[in-house]
Amino acid sequence: MGIYELSLATVVGINIILAVGLNLITGFCGQISLGHAAFYGIGAYTAALMAKAGMPGPVNLAAAMAMAGAVGVVVGMTSLRVREDFLAITTMGVGFLFLGIVRQQESLLGGELGISSIPTFGVGKMGFFVLVLVLAALSVAFSLYIKRSWMGFAFEAVADDEDTARVISVDVPAYKLAAFALGTALAGLAGGLYCYFARFIVPDDFGFITSISVLSMVAVGGIGSVYGVIVGTALLTLIPEFFRFISDYKLLVYGALLFGVMRFAPDGLAGLTRLAFRRIQRKGGAV
Amino acid sequence: MSVLLNVQDVTMHFGGVHALTDVSFEVQDGEFLCLIGPNGAGKTTMLKAIVGAISPQEARILLDGREISGLPTHRRIGLGLALTHQIVRPFRSMTLTDNVALAVGHRRIRRVWTALAGLDRDKERAEALKLLEMVGIHNHADQEVTGQPLGVLKRLEVARALALKPRLLLLDEPLAGLNHVEATRLADTIVRINQEGLTIVMIEHNLGEVLRVGHRLVVLDNGRKIAEGLPRDVMQMPNVRAAYVGKEANDAAA
Amino acid sequence: MSPVFRAACERLTMLYFELLIQGLIYGSMYAIIAVGLTLVYGLLRILHVAHAGLFALGGYMGLLITNSTGSLILGMPLAAAIVGVVGMAIYRLCYQPILDQPPYVALIASIGLFIAMEEMFRLIFGPFGLTYTNAPLQSVVQFAGIYLRAVDLAIVVGSLSLLGALSWLSQKTRIGLAWRATVDDPQIAESFGISVLNVRYLNFFIGSALAAVAGVFISLLSNLVEPTMGGVPSYKALAIIVLGGLGNVAGTLIASLVLGVVEAFGTIYIGDILDRDAIAFAFLIIVLMIRPEGLFARR
Ligand SMILES: Nc1ncnc2c1ncn2[C@@H]1O[C@H](COP(=O)(O)OP(=O)(O)OP(=O)(O)O)[C@@H](O)[C@H]1O
Ligand SMILES: [Mg+2]
Repeated sequence: MGIYELSLATVVGINIILAVGLNLITGFCGQISLGHAAFYGIGAYTAALMAKAGMPGPVNLAAAMAMAGAVGVVVGMTSLRVREDFLAITTMGVGFLFLGIVRQQESLLGGELGISSIPTFGVGKMGFFVLVLVLAALSVAFSLYIKRSWMGFAFEAVADDEDTARVISVDVPAYKLAAFALGTALAGLAGGLYCYFARFIVPDDFGFITSISVLSMVAVGGIGSVYGVIVGTALLTLIPEFFRFISDYKLLVYGALLFGVMRFAPDGLAGLTRLAFRRIQRKGGAV
Repeated sequence: MSVLLNVQDVTMHFGGVHALTDVSFEVQDGEFLCLIGPNGAGKTTMLKAIVGAISPQEARILLDGREISGLPTHRRIGLGLALTHQIVRPFRSMTLTDNVALAVGHRRIRRVWTALAGLDRDKERAEALKLLEMVGIHNHADQEVTGQPLGVLKRLEVARALALKPRLLLLDEPLAGLNHVEATRLADTIVRINQEGLTIVMIEHNLGEVLRVGHRLVVLDNGRKIAEGLPRDVMQMPNVRAAYVGKEANDAAA
Repeated sequence: MSPVFRAACERLTMLYFELLIQGLIYGSMYAIIAVGLTLVYGLLRILHVAHAGLFALGGYMGLLITNSTGSLILGMPLAAAIVGVVGMAIYRLCYQPILDQPPYVALIASIGLFIAMEEMFRLIFGPFGLTYTNAPLQSVVQFAGIYLRAVDLAIVVGSLSLLGALSWLSQKTRIGLAWRATVDDPQIAESFGISVLNVRYLNFFIGSALAAVAGVFISLLSNLVEPTMGGVPSYKALAIIVLGGLGNVAGTLIASLVLGVVEAFGTIYIGDILDRDAIAFAFLIIVLMIRPEGLFARR
């Protein structure tokens, strides 16, 4: 693998952690978040500041997770108070609020110029890729585990019909908070990794468009399906790279794809695969 | 016999609609109580207020002497209440078995973080299957909820409520949507469960079944309690008859 | 009172007054954007993010027509009509087929559509934006001691009279009655012979046309239309419809004006901590913490 492929693969790994985290909130638990990038950013800024203060990498990654997860719980508590429909807008607001704060904090957070010359993680490019790969695999395994556990079963109920979940004794607010805590902590981890990867971060890395891109990865892959989300993430991260000529049209493709998938295949790639599989099975049965 | 549920002065307004005004009644341990009244009398609202799905302006509700009016729904269910919906509310993304299995496993999901510990669902699914069989819909067990006839979904509601192993079962028109044979069978099942010791409050428009299975009646009209007592006595009361006849006359005129 | 102190007081009062006026100008523009969103939400429970794209389209159409004909009197209504029709098409082609899907489907589709529209503007009209060759309504007038441009007044007067007309339409006409009946209960409305489909078309036409008017207004204010102009005002409009109690037109109007004023004052007093856009959302979040149903809940 050359340097270029290596860095692409690293980005895919980071994005998988990010998307798997959103899938936990939106896919498993049914809570739309339009502000996921804010938690990604919180992780990145936390790790970056600590790295520049000379703290060791693993500690910084843990701190990035903890910080993003903690803010995630606070945001989760706000969103519990509002109606379901409002959640998308409140989380979007959190995204803008994060950007607004970061942009104005020149002394501490570098304002528009961001934070540069962040130290390396200290394990070389290949070593860092392996680290990302291992963490991505762990995140995926963790989220597959959750899905199969009784926690995942209860998440399914909350996503399906909150009121009914309550009448079979599901503590709906607690489950939503758990989903927020876990999903945003993963976003924080991804952010921590990103700051070590890029070694230079600016507020716009964590803006509304980033939130939407992550949501696209989840939606195109198939909301709720872990494998679908992995494929969706890899595709949406790599397509613009392999087809350099569309790089000017990258956002147009994103938008059109997002719209097209929702309009024609709301269950994403995972849904299409299931459908195809069932067709084949049925044909097999008929023969 | 001791009082299991004590409902005191429940008042619920939706904007200008007075769905319930100062309604009080008691449910004895082991009793089969029927809650009746014309359309829009406030019966469903009453059951929802008991489980806390809506918050009345005023209410004191005691379960076994313990005040539960301030608790959120899931806590009240945890204390032994279970409710079936008049308008069915299944989990549409799950099979019938899983709808019930999740309720069977309600202890495993009570605490979020301990819910993370277990993966195995077999025991709960087996138990769910038994409950589906008890209400007579086990042939549909592994099917998706979408596309099931109303009669099946109505009975799914009952199976899911039973899965919670409640002390007090609140049934909102469980027989509506079933044909005569199915309705009689389900009513018999409910009677049997009651005889095994489960206390039941049932809303039902099918007065034939009400007279057959109910120990006692509470009658609501226009959000007020207008009568209560033994079924035959209550049905003789002039104001009860007037409420029913009046409503029917109105409905016919409309 | 010493003359120095009195002068300071007067200056402060003047500043407050100016900020208030500025807040009202932005607030009334937010209101005509937000009304379209709230109409769509009230009828279909869709968070119609692509409304932002229609707003920008309105800006472009207004500017292009005004530049080529030299008349804003022509440019603005034509832009409104074109965008209104595009709005109807969006309903028919994009939303109608996915109405029975879970709500996030329409929301994400709408976001996708909006991004695609923004990108089309960038690819077709270029990334740097367009300006009026001869910008209308720029003459300065003096009003109650402060200087305003004609466009400032036009925005406030225009927005409020359009909203007044809308309110008259919905309260006093048969169309308005049909519309309100459909919002309350589409099935009952249908059974009274109201064409729910037509009501929805009308809804999208009016909402989109108003967005276009807002787009033209903002282009006059800054003498600029650019591909990304739709984003921020429309995100704020989303915040406003939440504040106003979703689906509530009067609440939306008041919330818009309040937000405009809060922003104007916020930029002066807490501008160091938060930028203008974040102030709006901070306000939203604080209000929701205190009143989870929004400022003016429907029930
Ligand atoms: N969420 C609500 N919002 C507004 N009004 C409501 C609501 N729920 C119930 N109502 C009103 O309260 C009154 C009582 O309704 P409820 O559903 O309790 O009647 P019910 O006795 O169960 O009738 P039915 O026999 O038709 O099921 C009715 O007038 C109804 O329209
Ligand atoms: Mg009822």
